[in-house]
Amino acid sequence: MSALSIEVTPEQQRQLERFYFHEARLLDNRQYLQWLTLLSEDVRYIIPSRVNVQVNNRARGQEDMISVEHELEGEDSMGCPHREEGYILLMLRAERAYKINSWSENPPARTRRIVGNIELMEHSSDTLSVLSNFHLYYARPGSDNILYSGQRRDTLLSQADGFRIVRREVVLDYAAIEVPTLGLFF
Amino acid sequence: MSLNISDLVNEDASLISRRCWSDEGVYALEKRGIFGKSWLFLGHESQIRAPGDFVQAYMCETPIIVSRGQDGGIYANINSCTHRGLPVCRADHGNTKRFVCPYHNWSYSVEGNLMTIPQESEVVRKPDKTQLGLKRVPRVESWRGMIFGSFDEAIIPLDEYLGDMRFYLDAFFDRFPAGIEFMGAPHRWVINANWKLPVENQLGDVNHGAFLHSAIIPIEAQQLIEKLGHSVVTTPGHGATFRLMPENTPVDDVAWGMEAVGSIFGGDEVQNYLREIQTQAHERVGDLRSRMKGLTYGIYPNLSFLWSNTSFKVSHPRGPGKVEYWSWAVVPADAPDNIKKILRTNYSSFFGPAGILEQEDSEVWAQQFLGSNIDFADDRPYYYGLGLGEEKPHPDMPGLVSVTANEFYARHFFTRWKKELQAAEGPL
Repeated sequence: MSALSIEVTPEQQRQLERFYFHEARLLDNRQYLQWLTLLSEDVRYIIPSRVNVQVNNRARGQEDMISVEHELEGEDSMGCPHREEGYILLMLRAERAYKINSWSENPPARTRRIVGNIELMEHSSDTLSVLSNFHLYYARPGSDNILYSGQRRDTLLSQADGFRIVRREVVLDYAAIEVPTLGLFF
Repeated sequence: MSLNISDLVNEDASLISRRCWSDEGVYALEKRGIFGKSWLFLGHESQIRAPGDFVQAYMCETPIIVSRGQDGGIYANINSCTHRGLPVCRADHGNTKRFVCPYHNWSYSVEGNLMTIPQESEVVRKPDKTQLGLKRVPRVESWRGMIFGSFDEAIIPLDEYLGDMRFYLDAFFDRFPAGIEFMGAPHRWVINANWKLPVENQLGDVNHGAFLHSAIIPIEAQQLIEKLGHSVVTTPGHGATFRLMPENTPVDDVAWGMEAVGSIFGGDEVQNYLREIQTQAHERVGDLRSRMKGLTYGIYPNLSFLWSNTSFKVSHPRGPGKVEYWSWAVVPADAPDNIKKILRTNYSSFFGPAGILEQEDSEVWAQQFLGSNIDFADDRPYYYGLGLGEEKPHPDMPGLVSVTANEFYARHFFTRWKKELQAAEGPL
């Protein structure tokens, strides 16, 4: 992750921003069914859990000693990620929002996503690896106002009519999980 | 405000005061009378296999290090330096020879013994290090790999404490020749709720499913729970709920895990694995228990086991209105790694901080705490009378048994709770 992002033209960067800003607007407007159309049908949506790890003494003096990667229990680990989902589970979450008996979303939360630091890291034929950061403000009636913060590690597929999300790994910046749910679309 | 414990829970525990859930004085008594006197769950032996392995745990709000000693024994010590009180362990888990306090580098062995005081060489009278180890949890015992600790030196043995719950726990554990294991570090979720409501929810309250979770749980599944569901209390505070499937139920309808997402997305490989376990269940746990399709379990005071989505959970109090709710995915220890990775999603997709269902539970737990704090409603205690007196002994199963709508599991819990708080009453 130390590599510099790929040099892109302003047009390419604008294309990525346009996609991500549109996505954020759909989610903040609670248009989750339209958001689903941005996903590839074989999408993988991963949220690793984040562990307080023991420092490896032998790595002292090196950046690797405190690498973020050591803290993540992801899909390939034998720990337990928070989410490992495909299209069907994401669809279940999206459709749930429009049921009158989804009590934890009734009334629905008010959210605002700010997406930035968009970096194209790899590009091969129609597949793009893109990093982005987000702050998600979440105000839930009868509860708290909460700020989620994290990084998204996306694989996008470039198609004639725009991008599709093939894989998203969300690295959340939490110490303790003091939020009502990690079940949002980040 | 002074509270009388006998006013909080009425004679048959069908009325429970709102103050049970919200009062600081009640919480102080709970710490002393319940968390100071019970067997509390610390972890699973699968987490500390090798000498030097350790995991963190809590006993109520007290931070604990659970470790495997160089002698192969299991140790539990309070994570607080004898010199100035700092935690000597900061990692969730790992393997070490020494726990070192950052302040003056007093160091402790993995068993909790004080090994070095760096300043010692500069003073004449040396401290007696044998008296200055980490404070050891006086009683530590395991059953089926589950490690418990107690601050009460005189507590009854763990086996006896679990009592007839072992019959129901073994209906699950004994299915797996190599036992079970916990995957990774616990998910630690802070919820603005009283610790007892997650406990009650998992002790026997399966009947909220049809209502709170109706956006997700199909009505057919819920009807089957009502039709085949049994609720059991073995000892007050311990309970189990399960569906008892009729004889000759097809394997796919009774097998553990078959109804969860892992089997749906895992395809033939996972499904055949689950069928194989069920095929052996008759021989391993007997006919009756092989037909049990578990739902929720509770071990007094704050351990829960969710059989259907295979997770262990502990409700660690952080005051009357906050809980640090820990949960782990649990899998058969001898399952192939790729199957373990699929089975863990049975838990994480629906429970835990990202769970589609549990986000609805955590919401109502927090809302219940708000309701337990309002004024001018103390003459409206919560009604716990559903099914009062309708539970009965069963010819083939230990404990008192009833339909799942009977709230006797909670009444028994609060009867024990009241008795233990009364025993702890008196000047702090």
